Amino acid sequence: MEMEVIEADGVSRAVLDGRFDIAGAQAVDLRFSVLAGSAPALIVDMAKVTFLASMGVRTLMLSAKTMMRRGARMAVCGADENVDKVLRATGFDEIVTLYPDYETAAAALIK
Amino acid sequence: MTVLEARTFLGTLEAAMEAEAWAADQAKRLDLSERAAFAMTLCLEELFVNAVTHGAAREVRLALSEDTLEFRDDGTAFDPTCAPQKRLQGQTFDFEIGGFGTGLLQKFADRLSYRREGDWNVVRLAFGARSR
Repeated sequence: MEMEVIEADGVSRAVLDGRFDIAGAQAVDLRFSVLAGSAPALIVDMAKVTFLASMGVRTLMLSAKTMMRRGARMAVCGADENVDKVLRATGFDEIVTLYPDYETAAAALIK
Repeated sequence: MTVLEARTFLGTLEAAMEAEAWAADQAKRLDLSERAAFAMTLCLEELFVNAVTHGAAREVRLALSEDTLEFRDDGTAFDPTCAPQKRLQGQTFDFEIGGFGTGLLQKFADRLSYRREGDWNVVRLAFGARSR
């Protein structure tokens, strides 16, 4: 899985592209760990993520836990129907708000 | 169940990645719908990771029919059909990460069955129809 981080308006936008399976999670774990420990606000853009299972959810939850402990904000946007279903089935939406697209997520975090 | 494809994997996370790639290829070849392909690969990852990390499985055997995946592992007995479904509740950072796999299986498989055959866990998952 590819991951590009774009910094703008005090928000780190992590754009993911590909399958967030075991290999995908291994590919981005370290970068997520660094981001979660330093970014003032983080939006994970999942519009190009075609698959998500619990190893990927684990990566997102670890980041959410670190961000929440630091009092930093995190959001997820752009998840398609299947990916959204995984996030809601695990209760991830209870700890991090899910937005339909980046613009909506950014408006909520930057205000 | 008429088996169309079958393959045996070692009980390792590296093999789990190979199995995911195999399942994704088979889903395309069998022309499964996007929803069914997603569900099958997701359930495969959950079962494989669980069998390796918690069940100490040494071997995993997969058999695929038109709409059913049979997953066999030689790990410790584990029945996912009656395991509790875990889901985070409420806004707190003091949560435990892990244990979500069983809930995902029950959410994404159309049908889920389990039996113990000798030293093997045998899980059958059904995933609806083809895309056309």
